[in-house]
Amino acid sequence: MKKIKLPLIYMVCLLLAGFLMAATPAGNTGYQVGDTARDFELKNVDGKMVSLSDYENAQGFIVTFTCNSCPYSVAYEDRLIALHNKYAPKGYPVIAINPNDAAVSPEDSYANMQQRAKEKGFPFPYLHDETQEITKAYGATRTPHLYILKKGENGMYKVAYIGTIDDNSRDPKQVQKRYAEAALNDMIAGDQVKQPNTKAIGCTIKWKEA
Amino acid sequence: MTQRLTLLFAILALVIAAFSTASAQEVKVVKFAELEKLRQQPHDTLYVVNFWATWCKPCIKELPYFEAVNKQYQGQPVQVVLVSMDAPQDLEKRVHPFVQKRALQSRLLLLDETDPNSWIDRLEPKWSGAIPATMLFNNKRKQYEFVERELSEEELQKLIVKYKP
Repeated sequence: MKKIKLPLIYMVCLLLAGFLMAATPAGNTGYQVGDTARDFELKNVDGKMVSLSDYENAQGFIVTFTCNSCPYSVAYEDRLIALHNKYAPKGYPVIAINPNDAAVSPEDSYANMQQRAKEKGFPFPYLHDETQEITKAYGATRTPHLYILKKGENGMYKVAYIGTIDDNSRDPKQVQKRYAEAALNDMIAGDQVKQPNTKAIGCTIKWKEA
Repeated sequence: MTQRLTLLFAILALVIAAFSTASAQEVKVVKFAELEKLRQQPHDTLYVVNFWATWCKPCIKELPYFEAVNKQYQGQPVQVVLVSMDAPQDLEKRVHPFVQKRALQSRLLLLDETDPNSWIDRLEPKWSGAIPATMLFNNKRKQYEFVERELSEEELQKLIVKYKP
């Protein structure tokens, strides 16, 4: 029998491992459209804890990772309020979650969140993801970052849309494509969401420093 | 008298020249097509393209590292390009003063596009849209790397050393 060269086997193994690693998208650990979204229990600016399961009549949610400190988030505050006021009566309320670590981004402290919510009169909860566990589970990378969930027959919530509110962060008057509204309208009509993924420029999430 | 005047003018000219070399680069407002063209540059050059904005704190923190690379590799095939995501409406009141104050020397572009969903994937499908983000490429050598987060000075230096021709 021929002697097999061990180093060669090692090299083949290494190559295979390399291919496998290249095939799995790196850092893409959060939810994709179609995944089941987990519930959470996070503290609202009024001091009460909020969970998806608190909403008995919801058909879904507009879970929005947003914050005080990002100008893009601030630019979208009024549009987020309008989105809630339009779609909460149809069963799709907004739940805003601030994912930023307050030590890294002091503007996003709980006290500053309370103040911002009061100033703007947010008609939806503004929750603080202090451990950043939910932000990681969802896979949010920027603010603002929307995850629209739809209730399934089993009562679980599935991710139906991931992306941005519309195509123009700078000027609400110049908006031409209302991506989030289009997705919600598809969902309410019982249709497949035609454009379930969109992207926008936003601020990086301020992760806790190790 | 005329000699003194000549001397005075000469000094003045020198001072002006010194100031003008230290002054910042011009910001060029571009459409996405120009960015795409940059991404396709066929030269044996390492392009270091950083996406930033004047309102982005982590971006501002890492800008000096890119400026340092630009200075350090002057005359070498390494080109730093800083692409601002600021609104074109903010060019005069925000971007220009910022660029002047910091006397930025790298090549400066400002992307004039509204719907990022229409162009992000064409540039880099892995990019979620968060800034800062940096892409390094040398198309001649088929090298490419994309980073969607803030870089430390050490990380950036390592990337440059890894790819510089």
